[in-house]
Amino acid sequence: MIKASLRGLLQRKLRLSLAVFAIVLSVAFLAGSLVLSDTLNARFTALFSTINQNVSVVVQAKDPQAVEPARLTDAQLRALSEVDGVRAVSPDVSAQGVIPFRATDGEPVSADAALGFGVDGNDDPLGLVELREGRWPTAEGEVAITAHTAELAKVKRGEQLKVYLPVLNEPRTFTVVGVAGYSGGRDSLAGEVVVMFQQSFAQQTFYGATGLYGGASFAAEEGVSDDALKQRIAAQLPDGFKALTGQESSEEQSAQVGVLFDVFKYILIGFAVVAGVVGIFLIFNTFNIIVAQRTRELALLRALGAGWGQVAGSVLLEALVVSLVGATVGLAAGIGVAAAGEAAITSEVALPSAGLVVAPLTVILAYLLGVVVTLVAAFVPAVRASSVPPVAAMRDVVRPDKSLTALSIVGAVFALPGVGLVLFGAFADLGGTAFLVLLGGAVLVFIGALLLSPLLARPIVRGLGALVGRGSAGNLGVRNAARNPRRTAVTAAAIIIGVTVIGMTATVVQSFKTSLTDIMGDNIGVEVMIQASVTAAPDGRQGFNPKALEQVRAIPGVKEAAAWHFDALGVSVAGQPQAFGIFATDVGQAARMFPIDATDGTIRTLAAQELVLDDNIAETLKLKAGDRTPVVIGGVTRDYTVVGVYRATPLIQGILVGEPAVADFPGPLAFQGFVSLNDGVDAAPVVTQIETIMKDYPGVQVGDRQSYVDQATASYDFLLIAVQILLLVALVIALLGILNTLVLSIVERTRELGLVRAVGLSRGGLVWMVTVESVLITVFGVFLGLALGVGLGAAFTKALMTLEFATVIAIPWLELAQYLLAAVVAGVLAAVIPARMAARLNVLDAISYE
Amino acid sequence: MTSPVIDTPAAGAGAAARAADLWKVYGSGEAQVIALRGVSVELERGRFTAIMGPSGSGKSTLMHCMAGLDSATRGHLTIGDTALNGLGDAGLTRLRREKVGFIFQQFNLLPTLTAEENILLPLAIAGRKADPQWFQTVIDTVGLGDRLGHRPNQLSGGQQQRVACARALVSQPEVIFADEPTGNLDSRSGAEILSFLRRSVTEHGQTIVMVTHDANAASYADRVIFLADGQIVDELLEPTADAVLDRIKRLDVMSSPTARPDGPPGQRTVEDSPSATATGATE
Repeated sequence: MIKASLRGLLQRKLRLSLAVFAIVLSVAFLAGSLVLSDTLNARFTALFSTINQNVSVVVQAKDPQAVEPARLTDAQLRALSEVDGVRAVSPDVSAQGVIPFRATDGEPVSADAALGFGVDGNDDPLGLVELREGRWPTAEGEVAITAHTAELAKVKRGEQLKVYLPVLNEPRTFTVVGVAGYSGGRDSLAGEVVVMFQQSFAQQTFYGATGLYGGASFAAEEGVSDDALKQRIAAQLPDGFKALTGQESSEEQSAQVGVLFDVFKYILIGFAVVAGVVGIFLIFNTFNIIVAQRTRELALLRALGAGWGQVAGSVLLEALVVSLVGATVGLAAGIGVAAAGEAAITSEVALPSAGLVVAPLTVILAYLLGVVVTLVAAFVPAVRASSVPPVAAMRDVVRPDKSLTALSIVGAVFALPGVGLVLFGAFADLGGTAFLVLLGGAVLVFIGALLLSPLLARPIVRGLGALVGRGSAGNLGVRNAARNPRRTAVTAAAIIIGVTVIGMTATVVQSFKTSLTDIMGDNIGVEVMIQASVTAAPDGRQGFNPKALEQVRAIPGVKEAAAWHFDALGVSVAGQPQAFGIFATDVGQAARMFPIDATDGTIRTLAAQELVLDDNIAETLKLKAGDRTPVVIGGVTRDYTVVGVYRATPLIQGILVGEPAVADFPGPLAFQGFVSLNDGVDAAPVVTQIETIMKDYPGVQVGDRQSYVDQATASYDFLLIAVQILLLVALVIALLGILNTLVLSIVERTRELGLVRAVGLSRGGLVWMVTVESVLITVFGVFLGLALGVGLGAAFTKALMTLEFATVIAIPWLELAQYLLAAVVAGVLAAVIPARMAARLNVLDAISYE
Repeated sequence: MTSPVIDTPAAGAGAAARAADLWKVYGSGEAQVIALRGVSVELERGRFTAIMGPSGSGKSTLMHCMAGLDSATRGHLTIGDTALNGLGDAGLTRLRREKVGFIFQQFNLLPTLTAEENILLPLAIAGRKADPQWFQTVIDTVGLGDRLGHRPNQLSGGQQQRVACARALVSQPEVIFADEPTGNLDSRSGAEILSFLRRSVTEHGQTIVMVTHDANAASYADRVIFLADGQIVDELLEPTADAVLDRIKRLDVMSSPTARPDGPPGQRTVEDSPSATATGATE
């Protein structure tokens, strides 16, 4: 029995190879994601192990992100360095965001990490950094830089270097007195820029006072283990500090950095999921058709005494072999994907090599995915195979198409409550929970629609067919597409899934963009925007100095310039943490530049300890004008008075305080600036002048109104592109599915093809017939997918409108038309091979009887 | 090599289809099989010709070659005034569209089309309209009036073959080739089909060529041609079933090994359909 099914497998390898391909794709994405992530982690671990190579113990603040992180004093550092077993100490005085400017064009150097250190004029006691030329800085106006920094900033020893200092929030100019490198002759560890200052200057600048340290690294004496030293140091640690061994520190740091690359991991896992789900349909279809074609053979086995379990088992065994082959190839392809991904990432970021890491877990998960997907997909066909009656070996047993009634009822049971939930979520004012309701409803609708798709296949295909099915060949193609609605629906399922997701995303993104453009265009008097790009939660430590706006106000034609500060770190109002943070600005000025309608109290320039908020938040916090409420900003709690409540719009919402409150913010920098112009003033030259002013603040961008809209929607465009790539993956698999179905159908219909050829259909007619069938299946999938996607997208947008995130539902017709076109092209492509097969059939062979 | 020249009545201008010195050889070397050995035959316009012969005699191959479904190894073939030799796929397609009708033993109809659509399929493919009067005549002849909207799986085997006959008749082709049209039917349905064919020849002047191994079916024809070992060995005009049976018995004696003077040793003849190539094409 096993031998028989394995031999059958070899004979059908051509047909099964497409099913294998679906498994390969899915497994490749999963394995690629895992291998890439492990490999990058290994590289980072290697990197930080290098940094900590001579380090036994690291002492650092428990919460380095705090507004006022803990610092070591001179006395504390001395006490720790006198701990028994310490051989050497390297104190840490450092800051991030210390950005040098290029000597040639004055632009800030762009690097993934830009660090500043304070050095005490002696060589690194831990031997990581080595001076290559010149000397260490010993005066305030001197710096040493790494060789990589010198290359990027295009400076040499003895030349001047302008450097942005994060806490001073302004650039200063220094003389480069030395160039350093790392042990082992490396110019950089991971492409970072490093500027080293005189230690007391660095302490004063970064920490606000001399004699303070952020932490320290310790080397142990011979014979003292890292753990033992850690225990001894930990016993003497001041509050707010923790001690780690060098190894622990490396692991912690590489884990933190590795998170940055997780986005690649999740995109690839997303692809794996889509490929897997879509693959299930493809494999299901393949096995179903193969079982239908093998009816006689299976019946013969049954007639010869095989039990139904053996017949079902033979199909499942076949599926298992297919899945193992697919998973193996997929694993290999995944390792290839990871190698390519690693090459792409490390061409941007120089990291020490640690080789490709293929963890045992990766291998296990890859095979698990392949086997589970295939067996799930092959289960129904296997059961169907086992129900072939032995008598089918002797004569054609008419197995009428099973009625679609039961399937459609189940579909309706899913779809109807789903539609109800979606409508409820869209129209009932549920606040944030609306999205959970919508998501649940969307999933139900989606499952229901897939189950109902066979019922819909016939009318939709015929309707669409009326448009393309001109001429008898086209008409035959239409009928072939409609003749087996289950097969058509399952084949189109891959497309339905992909297009639903893309249609939904495109609708929400388009609605959001249109809303924003409408609001920006109609209502505001702002012509130029200044915007800080952020790499962490904005809290006033990134952005630009609001004093710079005084220069902006001096530009001819500028009417007003407003600075907006933003703190999203640890803010709470009325005892409730505010994840969306708090804004500080001149609210009276804001009301002149933006449409802000008071619904309660007044909207005016605020004094200290006064706030205004939007109606949604006011309702959530149960606050009204005149109320007093505790507000925590920058760790300081004060009682604030609610001066007014305004109507939330997609443009302006949240809690606003006055400029005096900025003193409590963790940093003094403005996050955004808005500039209005006098009538008739051209924005472009003003933008250029403001750019010159803002040049000293790395990461601050200046643009006109449209560029602001573009920037605000950029992250949504990125989402859309990510989803479009996902669609492409689904479309490729769908294309294979259609190809598969068509090839199998052509084999089944050999006699019919011979007949139409005998009665005069030309080869071209036959090709057209197959193409029409293929395109109809594809377009059916796109049609259903777009209907679902746009409908669900509109529902999500409606919920966003309730929350004032959008004002209109906009349907992206252009994109929808493109997706439809892409589907037609895919349908034509999928038909190429089957159509050639059909056209090459010898008429005589096709009509000959066995 | 010479072949027995059969005296063909009314040879000449009246031929709907003609084969001259037709050879058909499959394979080469050891596996070489000669299906037809220099067959010459003319099928007159407006007559009903039956081709008979034992299994492997080459009767189906002869029909396939004359209908342009299979290519000749050597020899000259015409349908009407069109020479088949040298016609490419497009030319043969047009020939089938315009001048030939087919009735097969089974799988005659497309399951996705109704009876009426199946009947009109060759015209639809050719982009022609049916003459409504002739269409009605054909429908009346085969007696399908109330079944036109049915699909093939709602029709009995006999009804399906009647639809196939109507399809062949409706485009009024130069010649209709019928390959064992009654082979899958019970005797009553078979008799009905044969009567339709007979009537379409008698009343409408249609030319029909039918391959059969059933003496009773052959008795509906005007003329019976007997094949054995790829050669025409005999013919019978205005046959009766008994006369046909009688000839078959004589042929059986003739084609026994002792009565075969020119068959090279070790050579065998093909089955009616070249099944080796048929299975090859379905994979």
